[in-house]
Amino acid sequence: MKRRDFLTAASGAAIAASASSLPLPGLIRRAHAAGSGNTVKIGCLFSASGTMANIEGRLNYVTKMAADEINAAGGVLGKMIEPVITDPGSDWPLYAQLGKQLIQQEEVAATFGCWTSVSRKSVLPVVEQNDALLYYPLHFEGEENSKNVVYLNSPPSSSVLPAVEYLMSEEGGGAKRFFMLGSDYVWPRTINQQLKGYFKSKGIEESAWREEYVPLGFSNFQTLINQIRDFADQPGGQPIVVLTVVGNSIPDFFREFINQGISAFDVPVLGLDAVEADLEGLDTAPLVGHLNCWAYLQNAPGAKNQEFLAAWAKYVDDNDVPFSADTVIDPMVSTYDGVHLWAMAAEKAGSFDVPEVRAAFDGLSFDCPSGYNITMTGENNYVKRGVFIGSVNEAQGFDVLWQSEDTPDPLPFSPYMQG
Amino acid sequence: MIFLTRFRLVLPVVLAAFLGVQAAQAAPRDDLLAPVCAGGFGDQMAALQSIARYGVEGGGGDAVWALRVVEAFDGRALRCGPEAAFIETGDGLHSAATLEPVAAERAGALSSPSVNLKLRAVSASAAGLLTLMTAPDPAARAAALGVVAKRREAVTADLLERIAAAEADPNLKQAVSELHASLLLNDPDPQNRIQAIRAIGQSASQRNLSLLTQAAAAEKDPQVAAEAKSVIAGIERTLAAGKLMSALYSGMSYASILFLAALGLAVIFGLMGVINLAQGELIMIGAYSTWLVQEGLRAAAPGLLDYYLILAIPVSFAASAAVGIAMEALIIRRLYTRPLMTLLATWAISLLLINTVRVVFGSQNLEFHQPGYVSGGVQVLGDFIMTLNRLFAIGIAVVAFVAVLWLLRRTMFGLNIRAVTQNREMAGAAGIDTRRIDWMTFGLGSGLAGLAGLALSPLYNVNPNMGANFIVDSFMVVVLGGVGSLLGAVLAALGIGQINVVIEPVYGAVAAKVLVLLLIIGFIQWRPEGLFAPKGRR
Repeated sequence: MKRRDFLTAASGAAIAASASSLPLPGLIRRAHAAGSGNTVKIGCLFSASGTMANIEGRLNYVTKMAADEINAAGGVLGKMIEPVITDPGSDWPLYAQLGKQLIQQEEVAATFGCWTSVSRKSVLPVVEQNDALLYYPLHFEGEENSKNVVYLNSPPSSSVLPAVEYLMSEEGGGAKRFFMLGSDYVWPRTINQQLKGYFKSKGIEESAWREEYVPLGFSNFQTLINQIRDFADQPGGQPIVVLTVVGNSIPDFFREFINQGISAFDVPVLGLDAVEADLEGLDTAPLVGHLNCWAYLQNAPGAKNQEFLAAWAKYVDDNDVPFSADTVIDPMVSTYDGVHLWAMAAEKAGSFDVPEVRAAFDGLSFDCPSGYNITMTGENNYVKRGVFIGSVNEAQGFDVLWQSEDTPDPLPFSPYMQG
Repeated sequence: MIFLTRFRLVLPVVLAAFLGVQAAQAAPRDDLLAPVCAGGFGDQMAALQSIARYGVEGGGGDAVWALRVVEAFDGRALRCGPEAAFIETGDGLHSAATLEPVAAERAGALSSPSVNLKLRAVSASAAGLLTLMTAPDPAARAAALGVVAKRREAVTADLLERIAAAEADPNLKQAVSELHASLLLNDPDPQNRIQAIRAIGQSASQRNLSLLTQAAAAEKDPQVAAEAKSVIAGIERTLAAGKLMSALYSGMSYASILFLAALGLAVIFGLMGVINLAQGELIMIGAYSTWLVQEGLRAAAPGLLDYYLILAIPVSFAASAAVGIAMEALIIRRLYTRPLMTLLATWAISLLLINTVRVVFGSQNLEFHQPGYVSGGVQVLGDFIMTLNRLFAIGIAVVAFVAVLWLLRRTMFGLNIRAVTQNREMAGAAGIDTRRIDWMTFGLGSGLAGLAGLALSPLYNVNPNMGANFIVDSFMVVVLGGVGSLLGAVLAALGIGQINVVIEPVYGAVAAKVLVLLLIIGFIQWRPEGLFAPKGRR
């Protein structure tokens, strides 16, 4: 207890000292920052091993890249950012344990972490008890509004629902029937629950949808694809698949889908967790036309995006990052936005103390590589993002099929959730 | 002199006539193209259909032109200028109306028309119709007919009638006529309707069943209704048979994967009694060496690239066997008497291998070229599609099983292995070099895991963590089959695969996994030695 008090006091003093050093000229501040111990730590809670490693592992590097970028511009409040990397190994309870370590032992000012909702739910009590900050970069099921989590990506109201609405429109193909296939955990189940509520509100019969779940890491999709074909051939109108399987199950699903000869014309798949990285290693020619929806796509127009892509490619090259230099996915950009948003909030608050940083959220805005100016309000900890619908192209990427005009207001709690 | 004057006179006339013909052609074509560029989604769709109609009705050069335009639209090579449409090709811009090259600066600011799924479906069927009209190669025409048949609802009967009339190949003519007949399901003439029902009944699929069921429900004519009823019954029988075959095939395929993953372990754990937790990583190494062979061929002999899966068989076997032998020689042989330590040591090796591979290759999924013999599938009966990548895995599993059985039963090496397994001291006393047999057996088991990696690479994601997916399943198969029994492993894999496939559609994949594990626990309780009781030193 005593030790912790001492540390709190010490860090408080350090923060006060750094805050007072702010008005000094840049040169001195930089010299100051170069001195040892004059750093502020941020935590990274992304799996570099296990089923999520291939996609989640990238986020560690993008956090470092953003930190480097901020450090090169002088750091935050005169301090250099020092990312502390952990590997929770796709093991959900380990996220909580490592999160606790980051907050209590490393005393990080903020944590950036988690991909799956189940890992976020596992860290949530830890960040709440310690009144810490977790920046969460994935679009997710919503229905949560903790003051200790910054939701960098969109809840269903501004991601899944616009995409499904588009697919149901005449232009999007007039989808009438829905096969919802997901991994068996909280995100797919909540999303599908909301979708069902949404379908009911549109007067769609219950017989027009099917719901199936597979265990995490599942790979043998034969029987399920047979079921999808069967479902698609029933009368009743254009069928689509709403895919909420995660991790390595996504390429496995698509591989079987191709081999059974189903094309996107017959049954388009809306892959809610499908990112550019999932198409690595697949021949995408037979997949052309399948869809996803995110708050960023690699093919997003705009100079800001080109800058980001170039920066990532250079970072991969310079640092021998074991991931592709020319694949960028939404959660990477969201994490990048998050580091910048946190630095801006700390700068604005003049402090690294969580309550003060939190109070500074209202009115923050950042030019996201997606081309939208993303903003935060004092209302909740959600970030206002744009919406993209992408369609798989021949080059293992997604073309922008549709994008929202501006950034819709995020709605943490869906009106379509039913008991 | 006179000569020259005449020539001077003739040239402009010919030129004018030529240009006049071109202009006359271009005018309706421009009208057809305009809505593709300017129109909304509905207009675009109608425009594509009229372009197809224009091509089929005009035939000859019109059909060639229409096909070019439709393909350009589908391939997103169509560009819309302020006044006219263009096609972008590798060697610059062409006018979409005349297909003549155009200087880029004359075209003005260009945009691409939006192409969504519905439009692509329409353009695909239009391209199919036009290919049927124009392609010189009968095989290409037959493929196009397949595309058209799949999207029957987008095709109009009179266009197909024209195509059938123009078709030279008698077999294709017959096929086109049949497709044409199947479109007359709503024809006023009952005879045509019966023809249509029979034509649709030719291919039994759930889709056609839905189509006929709807038609039968609306049918007033008793004769047609009776025909529909009997055809529907036929389709239902075929579909049921197809479903059964499909279930058996799924079960077989899952079993082949389980068996392949377990085969190496059946040798290492089954015969030698070593609990090798790095077995999954040996599979991973097999897959990575397959990838290296592919990359090597891509660089050295691109012509052989399609056969990399065959050429990699010895390489993946040898690579994993080498790693296995090194493991055995350096670590495991010192731990034969301490099984618990082996467990820990092999686990450590598995982590070491995973991380080494991650450092060297990165952790993304590797990209495998999919040659024709492992991509796509063959429609066998009803809706049953035999997917070729799974057939490949089944084939390798069968070959590997037979080869290992032959090795163990019919060769000196196999005899020695069995001797050492059954009684090490006695075998040693009889002059068998037990040390040598130990590392060779370990190498065999590791090499088989490498082979599994090769067979699974067209099926699964290949990344450093892939081994973890297989380790539990393979122990499950070996223990259930009876430690030390190859035949047991085969039966166990088949059993688990088939039970899984039966349970999955009924209770879902999650419950299937749980139920299968519960069944195995129950079975092991009842029969701890597995399906086949081991005879030997344990």
